[in-house]
Amino acid sequence: MLKKIECFLNPSRLDKVKDELVKIGIDGMSVSEVKGFGRQRGYLEGEKIINKAVKFLPKIKVEIVVDEEIVDKIIDFIKELCAAKTIGAGKIFVLPVEDAVRIRTAEVGKSAIY
Amino acid sequence: MEKNFSSWDMALTQLDEVAKEINLDQNIYNILKKPKRTLIVSIPIRMDNGRIKVFTGFRVQHNINRGPAKGGIRYHPSVTLDEMKALAMLMTWKCAVTGIPYGGAKGGIICDPRKLSLGEIEKLTRRYISEIISIIGPEKDIPAPDVNTNPRIMAWIMDTYSMDKGYSVPGVVTGKPLSIGGSLGRNTATARGIMFTLMSTVKKLNLDFFQQRIVIQGFGNVGGNLARLLQKEGCKIIAVSDVEGGIYNPQGLDCFKVSKFLTETGSVIGFKDAEQITNQELLSLNCDVLIPAALENQITEENAGKVRTKVIVEAANGPTTPEADKILNEKGIFIVPDILANAGGVTVSYFEWVQGLQSYFWTEREVNLKLRDIMGKAFENVWRTSRERKVSMRMAAYILAVSRVAEATKIRGLYP
Repeated sequence: MLKKIECFLNPSRLDKVKDELVKIGIDGMSVSEVKGFGRQRGYLEGEKIINKAVKFLPKIKVEIVVDEEIVDKIIDFIKELCAAKTIGAGKIFVLPVEDAVRIRTAEVGKSAIY
Repeated sequence: MEKNFSSWDMALTQLDEVAKEINLDQNIYNILKKPKRTLIVSIPIRMDNGRIKVFTGFRVQHNINRGPAKGGIRYHPSVTLDEMKALAMLMTWKCAVTGIPYGGAKGGIICDPRKLSLGEIEKLTRRYISEIISIIGPEKDIPAPDVNTNPRIMAWIMDTYSMDKGYSVPGVVTGKPLSIGGSLGRNTATARGIMFTLMSTVKKLNLDFFQQRIVIQGFGNVGGNLARLLQKEGCKIIAVSDVEGGIYNPQGLDCFKVSKFLTETGSVIGFKDAEQITNQELLSLNCDVLIPAALENQITEENAGKVRTKVIVEAANGPTTPEADKILNEKGIFIVPDILANAGGVTVSYFEWVQGLQSYFWTEREVNLKLRDIMGKAFENVWRTSRERKVSMRMAAYILAVSRVAEATKIRGLYP
């Protein structure tokens, strides 16, 4: 089964995540610049909260479609590379992917992404 | 022997306390305090020396109102009918608190498997199953491994039952080897369930998961797997132990190295980078989370006063005696009771049975995610009950369990 890993990360970690994931055999990813806030309401660790206002912080959204078997490995990798245990490190979501098609070759499923 | 008699008394006392707390209908109480079915069988076996020896076996089904009975089979010299009755009742509550559609059962044979050959154990198993075959089955009662029984024995159970029926029946037993319908993730299920429970606990208590100094008593299937799972998540385990004693390092142990050391030497004792301690000292270490994952009756009236932890997660069955439980509660220690914490094992057993009935198989990830879901919901329900009624987590777990079984018993009515 294919799964999509969609993560929202601190922009400073992007290059490292890309390089390391390529090393373990990821053949593609999509990246977008996004703005967002989480439970910290857009404040950095130690920053003073003014008038309870919610702010947006710049984040990077990374999308990767992989085989279910390596999902846990990738999650562990990203946790490690993105300084897990620190506030604002981001979030990882795992979504089911029904199918994939490589348009050029008409390959489908797992074969379309590897 | 005395201890085994008291295990049934203890089970009844526990039920009494819950019955009072929830004002349980006396009629329902009278039903719940007795096992539904008790079968005692004689198991004659021709031993390797040619002589016939007759063993005694039991199968007890405590309640099957929420679904077929489920419970392990143990081979041990100290097995008694009273112990089986107590453990069957405990299984009813465990399945009910987790919300899986099973009743409770337990079985056992009075024997010392260390003194039996593999062939004798196989004959014993097959004849025992043949003697209880009329009350077990995928829709009736599904055995599982317990003390001194393993996947290989489960395979013999599956085979004996299947031979009797004339076709393969994988759903009659769980804890089977993978090749005949065992479930992925079954080996680490109990440990993983405990990890999920611990995660829920730290979240509710507003603690930092990574800052907890964790002590684990026992380094077998549950303790060892748990230590490795927690370390992989980034937790700090400061002490572990086996039967012979424990090792302690306030800076944290490398549990993968400890596992390797244990495999090579047969004990965790002697592991470098750690101080050697006794099992008693381990229980009184200054820590944040204490996880007894070894035997029953480890924290007693005598040593409970010395326990210095904030949280106890009961990975073993009955590691805390009722007297010790009172002392720990007075000290304000948060205890996650066994029937909730270690229900991961029976939950993945349930998954194995479901996969068997469907003749389908799930991926390990699927098993683990479903387990997390069920454990999380069970914890949430017990937590809420505990807050609403202002009772301990243990009492809350029993309240939930007994209420669910009572409700099922009541709504089904009385036959005829």
